[in-house]
Amino acid sequence: MRTELLDFLGSLHPLVVHLPIGIILLTIAIDVFMRNKNNSVKRVITMGWFFSFLSGLFAAIFGWFLGDNGYYFEEQINIHRWSGVALVFLCFVIWLLLYLNFRFNRSFTRSINITAIILLMVTGHFGGEMTHGQNYLFENLPYVKKEISVTPLTEVERSEIDSLYVFEDLIYPVLEEKCMACHNKNRAYGGLNMNTFESMMEGGNSGVGILKNKPYESLIYKRISFPHDHPKFMPPAGVPMSYDQIATLEWWIDKGAKKLMPISLARKDAKMQRLMEILYKLDLREKSYLETLKLPALSSDDLNGLNGEKYIWRFLNAEESFLDVKFTAKTIQKVDLLKMQKVKENVTWLNLADCMLSDELLSDISSFPNLTRLKIQKNPLVTDKGIKALLGMENLSELNLYGTRVTDAAFTTLGQMTALKKLFLWNTRVTAAGIEAFKAQHPEIEVIAGL
Amino acid sequence: MHCNDHHHNENKNYTRRDFLTKTSLGLGALSLGSLISPVNAYGQSEFLNLLDSEKMKLPHFIPKAKRVIYLFQSGAPSQLDLFDYKPKLNEMFGKEVPKSIIGEQRLTGMSSGQNSFPMAGSLFKFNQHGQSGAWMSELMPHTAKIVDELCFIKSMYTNAINHDPAITMIQTGSELPGRPSIGSWLSYGLGTDNKNLPEFVVLVTKGKNGQPIYSRLWGNGFLPSQHQGVQFRSGKDAVLYLKNPPGVTSGIREEQLKSLKKLQKIQHADIGDPEILTKISNYEMAYRMQTSVPEVMDVSDEPQYIFDLYGEDSKNPGTFAANCLLARKLAEKDVKFIQLYHRGWDQHGNLPRDIKKQAKETDQATAGLIQDLKQRGLLEDTLVIWGGEFGRTNYSQGMLKPDNYGRDHHPRCFTVFMAGAGVKKGITIGATDDFGYNIAERPVHIHDFQATLMHLLGIDHEKLTFKFQGRRYRLTDVHGNVVNEVLA
Repeated sequence: MRTELLDFLGSLHPLVVHLPIGIILLTIAIDVFMRNKNNSVKRVITMGWFFSFLSGLFAAIFGWFLGDNGYYFEEQINIHRWSGVALVFLCFVIWLLLYLNFRFNRSFTRSINITAIILLMVTGHFGGEMTHGQNYLFENLPYVKKEISVTPLTEVERSEIDSLYVFEDLIYPVLEEKCMACHNKNRAYGGLNMNTFESMMEGGNSGVGILKNKPYESLIYKRISFPHDHPKFMPPAGVPMSYDQIATLEWWIDKGAKKLMPISLARKDAKMQRLMEILYKLDLREKSYLETLKLPALSSDDLNGLNGEKYIWRFLNAEESFLDVKFTAKTIQKVDLLKMQKVKENVTWLNLADCMLSDELLSDISSFPNLTRLKIQKNPLVTDKGIKALLGMENLSELNLYGTRVTDAAFTTLGQMTALKKLFLWNTRVTAAGIEAFKAQHPEIEVIAGL
Repeated sequence: MHCNDHHHNENKNYTRRDFLTKTSLGLGALSLGSLISPVNAYGQSEFLNLLDSEKMKLPHFIPKAKRVIYLFQSGAPSQLDLFDYKPKLNEMFGKEVPKSIIGEQRLTGMSSGQNSFPMAGSLFKFNQHGQSGAWMSELMPHTAKIVDELCFIKSMYTNAINHDPAITMIQTGSELPGRPSIGSWLSYGLGTDNKNLPEFVVLVTKGKNGQPIYSRLWGNGFLPSQHQGVQFRSGKDAVLYLKNPPGVTSGIREEQLKSLKKLQKIQHADIGDPEILTKISNYEMAYRMQTSVPEVMDVSDEPQYIFDLYGEDSKNPGTFAANCLLARKLAEKDVKFIQLYHRGWDQHGNLPRDIKKQAKETDQATAGLIQDLKQRGLLEDTLVIWGGEFGRTNYSQGMLKPDNYGRDHHPRCFTVFMAGAGVKKGITIGATDDFGYNIAERPVHIHDFQATLMHLLGIDHEKLTFKFQGRRYRLTDVHGNVVNEVLA
């Protein structure tokens, strides 16, 4: 009964709080603009400060009750609470001094007026942040480009989609903001503690918090999606959850509410993928190795080695860090490959077709870490032995071996190349049976071996 | 005062206007391309300012395709007899096209006066092929076998209703002549991948009649002249005026060019006209082409089974099949844009008889080329395109007989297919209505098609621009959206 009364009084805070605001400002305005202060004016000012103090006192007391009901975070409420108390106290002191006919000089009057206005603004702003949400003041700032972000994901986190989890990175931060002021391990209103995944799932006095795969029967989902005037609607104060926050929670529960469900799962759901892209600014498209690789741009010094008749090269991206290199002379020597050493991290496509490439030189190529496409077709000196050197090339996805002398024995090596997606084997010594066996073992690799 | 002084002062600050006047009048080296990328060609001259800074960092993103082979079917092949299966037209054979279908759309003067517009269902049998189940008529049995490699766009449309503006549109992005061809834009934007051949090569099937094909279709428009397409002809002189005149040996020619280069360098140091550098490189390229062109045109090394793959025509120089084989050889040499033209698809009358012949000439070689590119690993970075400038009507132009009909021009819908680099395999995009007259699903305009082509080569079509006559131009003008559905 007592708490109910206090809660009721607490809810009067937003009503009463605007009285001292108006009275303080009016009192200061009278003080500033009515230069000719006869006795009546002085009495009006004294009275103004008295009513500022009185209404402020009520507002502070009601506010104290409201703050105590636990809907707000301590750290959020503290500045508001104590600056409010300070303001009320200041009003009281000013009134008392005026009442006792204490003589104020002009600069003293000015400084107490300014102090009162600053305290008023601080108190008002932080009070507003609690009810309207953080940054509410700047959300509608004109002529400024605003970053509308639902969750505070950093640029780095956004770029590493595969290491993000739905619960930890999208849902938990929202719960923290919207629910945990009351539902934490110290307070646990209604017996619900949302501090940990497990205790949240468990729920509180009314029952299980989240039923896996059943969003519409899960209490937490029900409470946040009620009509806003429903008595059980959550959160009871402050800004309700947004549509996308609710949709994310719904989708997550529907998919089994696993603690470690990766965000990348949204790729299978067109609507969620769109939502992630637009609202969370998460690019969920599957990316090739090169799309995720970042290298510094090359300078013309780096490229010196590739000048001359034997090479044709061009950049593959606007950042000028990936190279497509073709060797054009009829025969290749070790020295020709050494010239590429300086840019070996940058060579992503390499064409060494038809240049009498030998097995020995292949081991030099294998030290190009970011090579994804290698064309060494029409080199009759290349055999299974040379291919072995390519084993360590972890990013090579396309290998053209047509017109070399590789045999079925090469499949042992080729099968172990983790990134390999396409393999060209026309006009080699591999057998049809060998290819069939390899295809059966490695269905992910496309083998093109003639018509 | 020296009489040249005025001239000197003017050229110290070589203006855009001077340059453009010179290039547009000075198309001397018709057959010559250049090994120098456009940016290098202008070196450190003030002319650099003319090139848009956005264009400088190319490609804009990692490309899927490095080169394009465009098998252009001039005259507009009938999509209704080749790819776009419409059983409704057979069901309603001879009945009038419903008024609601044609509406107020314009027709050409060749058929708009007809009293009757009888629907002509195709006389050719259609079947589904491959795992993708793509519909193909019996006219293209070889291509039917490789449908799982192909991406059909059945909802292409264009603005123009006559050949010349329509071809100009699909080649340059504008119905009016004077803009650069696709190949010229690519040459300008991406430079070259080979040192001895031009970036843009054109092959025209010999001995065909029909709508004229002329060099402005592969012209550079307002781009520097080294970006124009170079036609390789069949027969003795693949490139005209490339051979040394009688009595001039290779040694003499080399000496001559060296001396000329000296003079040109003096001239360039004097007046700073960047087109002089272009000219030097043109001469050097021509000199190199004296050996590189005969080499690439020589197919005597090709084994018999390769000729078999492209079809019997492929041994007969100048045929579509022989040109397909050459296209592969040029692709192997990293020529960036290889455009074939095959005329004779403009079948206003006697379509069933004529289309059989046309299909036979192109079917096997097209399929053979795609397969040959595939086995060599070239299809990974080569985009192959097959298609015309517009489609043909679902009604018969002239008298409809049970075994004969003609079809008029139809810009409202037509089919193009693509294969290779970066394009999804075995899919069909877009659809026409049951009457094969209007587009029912996913319209793809010529500019969308061009934007997609550029995208596959790593170019943002909105960023590759050239400033001319006071505004920036681009291939897609102010239109075009990449057709994301075709991207693998």
